[in-house]
Amino acid sequence: MIELLSHHLLSVILWLPLVGALAIALIPKRFEHEAKVAGLFVSLATFVLSLGILQRFDDAEAGFQLVEHASWLPAWGVSYALGIDGISLWLTLLTTFLTPLVLLSAWNSVHKHVNSYVVAMLALEFGMIGSFLATDLLLFYVFFELMLVPMYLIIGVWGGPRRIYAAIKFFLFTIAGSLLMLVAILYLVFVQYGASGPPTFNIVELYGMAIPMKTQTLLFFAFTLAFAIKVPLFPFHTWLPDAHVEAPTGGSIILAGVLLKLGTYGFLRFVLPFFPEATYKYAWLLATLAVIGIIYGALVAWVQPDMKKLVAYSSVSHLGFCVLGIFAVTQTAIEGSILQMVSHGLSTGALFLLVGVIYDRRHTRMLADFGGLAKSMPVYATIFVIVALSSAGLPGLNGFVGEFLILTGSFKSLPWYTVAAASGVILAAIYLLWLVQRVFFGPLDKEENKNLPDMRWNELAAVVPLLVFIVWIGVYPNTFLKKMEPSVRKLIATVETHHAASGRIAQAPVASAPAANPADGVSR
Amino acid sequence: MNLTPLLEPDWFKAILPETMLVVGGLLLILLEAFFREKLRQLFAPIAAIILAMTSWVVVNMYPWVSDAPRVFFGGTYQVSVATIIFDLTFLLATLLAIMFSRDYLEREGMSSGEYYALMLWGTFGMMLMAKGLELLIVVLGLETLSICIFVLVGYNRRVPISNEASLKYFLMGAFATGFVLYGIALFYGATGSTNIPQLLVYFSTNQSAGPLLTIAFVLMMGGLGFKLALAPFHGWAPDVYQGAPTPVAGWLSTAPKAATLVVLLRIFAATSPAAEQTKWMAVAAVLSVLSMVLGNFVAIAQRDLKRMLAYSGIAHVGYMMLAVRTVREDAVAAIALYAVTYALMNIGAFGVISLLRKNQNDPHTLDDIAGMGFRHPFAGLALTVFMLSLAGIPPTAGFISKFYVFKVAIDAGDIGLAVVGICTSIVSVFYYLRVVYYLYMKEADELTPEPVRGAFATGALAIAIVGVFLVGIFPTPVFELFPLAANAIFLGH
Repeated sequence: MIELLSHHLLSVILWLPLVGALAIALIPKRFEHEAKVAGLFVSLATFVLSLGILQRFDDAEAGFQLVEHASWLPAWGVSYALGIDGISLWLTLLTTFLTPLVLLSAWNSVHKHVNSYVVAMLALEFGMIGSFLATDLLLFYVFFELMLVPMYLIIGVWGGPRRIYAAIKFFLFTIAGSLLMLVAILYLVFVQYGASGPPTFNIVELYGMAIPMKTQTLLFFAFTLAFAIKVPLFPFHTWLPDAHVEAPTGGSIILAGVLLKLGTYGFLRFVLPFFPEATYKYAWLLATLAVIGIIYGALVAWVQPDMKKLVAYSSVSHLGFCVLGIFAVTQTAIEGSILQMVSHGLSTGALFLLVGVIYDRRHTRMLADFGGLAKSMPVYATIFVIVALSSAGLPGLNGFVGEFLILTGSFKSLPWYTVAAASGVILAAIYLLWLVQRVFFGPLDKEENKNLPDMRWNELAAVVPLLVFIVWIGVYPNTFLKKMEPSVRKLIATVETHHAASGRIAQAPVASAPAANPADGVSR
Repeated sequence: MNLTPLLEPDWFKAILPETMLVVGGLLLILLEAFFREKLRQLFAPIAAIILAMTSWVVVNMYPWVSDAPRVFFGGTYQVSVATIIFDLTFLLATLLAIMFSRDYLEREGMSSGEYYALMLWGTFGMMLMAKGLELLIVVLGLETLSICIFVLVGYNRRVPISNEASLKYFLMGAFATGFVLYGIALFYGATGSTNIPQLLVYFSTNQSAGPLLTIAFVLMMGGLGFKLALAPFHGWAPDVYQGAPTPVAGWLSTAPKAATLVVLLRIFAATSPAAEQTKWMAVAAVLSVLSMVLGNFVAIAQRDLKRMLAYSGIAHVGYMMLAVRTVREDAVAAIALYAVTYALMNIGAFGVISLLRKNQNDPHTLDDIAGMGFRHPFAGLALTVFMLSLAGIPPTAGFISKFYVFKVAIDAGDIGLAVVGICTSIVSVFYYLRVVYYLYMKEADELTPEPVRGAFATGALAIAIVGVFLVGIFPTPVFELFPLAANAIFLGH
């Protein structure tokens, strides 16, 4: 047992949720409570084990740690390879941290097919952890697609009235992008073994490749499309509001908290190091889309009458910051971007959870149906305000740190975009305060709102751990930043070396974005 | 004059599996004639045992041919690693079909020995097709198989739709065989041989083909394309699948296609030295694209599950053609893997449909499976797994097979075709997912039929599910056989 934990820690963390899911699938239907307890236990055990990663993680090491390797399809150079570095560390922990909270939040709000809900959540956790830990391109792809099935079921079975439309749209959008990426993966590996040695899908070995510019551009766009849909980047975001509005609370939390991060993670893990020249060449395009997303998402969020839709559009806006930070390719911006991914997972996860709390009581999410809730539900109101402020980027809470780092870091390489993006911070404050104002303050004039019960134990248990980290990141982000620093430095070095090798370092990184002139970018 | 003795040593060993199937079929017919009532329950287990024994014999042939393929009967009949892999695929498909048939026939009151005998003989026909190095042997196998299928499709003789299907398949099938025979005759006329190794020699020396050979090739493609349900020769498939007894439809949609693909691989390989000049593979590419596009788009419009699977089958043959037309060595591996996978998932899917208690004349629509996922978890889970596998979602066998086919195409430089394939698979996800939607997200109403249970069908579903995951996650042992297989099909050139 100790042996297993010390040598195969990542595997244990990866497979435990799946084993748990299979076991819970065998529990007869009538034992709903037992299934929930078992699911919570499994997900908590996974979380506790994942803390073991922190303990064994070497802060100074930039490459993959705790690696595991086993041959899977030797003929193609595919292996079962796991590893963790500063980029995936916090996202993995975010996943294992959010899953038990999601199960807790569903304690009294999921009423049909409860056992299957728990099974689907754990299966989803398996897919998410696998995507973050895989260091083999095909293995990553397998997990990346695998996740779609439980999420499809979660939206489609436990969702709202238009759940079928939302579920199918979610699945088709995502798979359209990822199947094209599959062609690109195959072609990438084909180019690699044309150039050197036996075929391999190992990410680290593929990092070192020099790909001709024309090929690189095509592959860059195929990968980018897949991840842009996942993030989602404007104009591929249309599936997101539908999916969020229709998904059950737990589904929304996981969707916003982790699934979207796979898009931004994909940019960092694959797009930047695989296609450095294309990255520099088209950074202006991605930055433009990111900035449009930031402003557009915020403006649309502002006019939403539905709380959940408001939060959903705020995700489009917040993830725009992450993408902007990534394509700025500077140390500060990328660190900020990763931190923002985690922060957004916590804040938006908490917001969806809180919207779910009120929806369970009132079966409506329309802003117009509320007002003055601060009087009837004081605890709820306090927590909601804290979370909303963290999402709006109030200094001292988590949202501020990530956005600040992104904006300072990006200013060096993409100044005009950064200026435009900064307006998103102001807009975020406007729509979130607007939301708080409409729901919690003003007169308590609706009869139905007067006797609402405040937070229940399971809801508090789910939200308080989130608050702890919301404050922690806000006050002392260095705990998180210091572990990702070497890996980010290495990533940037990889990108820049390759770029330098192509002989255009003189212009990089500042001027290589023709981007310096935004009018240029926008007019296309 | 060729002085090789007609019967090589060990000739009987080479045809032992075929002999077992033929004799087994006869045995079943005799049992049917003399002990009909007493043994009615036992026909399926007997047939399954015969298949298991045959598989055992086939597996044990491996050491015998692992070094090099062996050829018998004056260069007309090949036993090799490739034929072993395909034989096992056929036997597995037939075994699954028989297990589903058992419960189905009992329920429909059609249990009889001759049904299983026909399946065994059909399998014999497929094995002959896969092993024939001589086009006439291939036709012999093809006809044996077709006749068995004609009867099996119309086996439900009191049901009009079944009769219609049988007649349709018979008339069109007769034409298709005619095309193949014409094609062979023209090959003989142009090259002086109907032997595949001889054809290879011809095309290697001539590196070109006149109009006569092109007509021959087109006729062959037409005839074999019919058996494959390759667009535009697919018209029969939806009607026949809908009318045939459901387990027969599952069987007929998988194993015969695999057998036909082996034949195509052999013919393509033999003509490939002249490929530069003949451009025949462009024809294959057109058929492939047509199948993928037509199959996937028309499947969206289908509400009858069997018709939907028919169109999905047309698309899947399109994917397989992507690999076949490259005539690369790994195409053999890709097709072999795809054939096994397709047999598991498609027969499995038809198997679940066969559990629906319906009047055979009525369509089996999506509404019939509404809510099945939660009311009958095992059958629902099975159908979900098969649909995800058909859609190519990892970690199922469907993913790894499709991945392999696209990999072969991309390695051969056909990136455009691969992209077409990928785009049409995105379309296909829609209708496969719609099945999952009906299973889990739609409530049953009073018209929804209750699925039946049966020990044999449950066993078959379990085999198919385990198979789909096993092939999907651990395909490596199978891969190791493939270089040998390719060698046999491509005759070492």
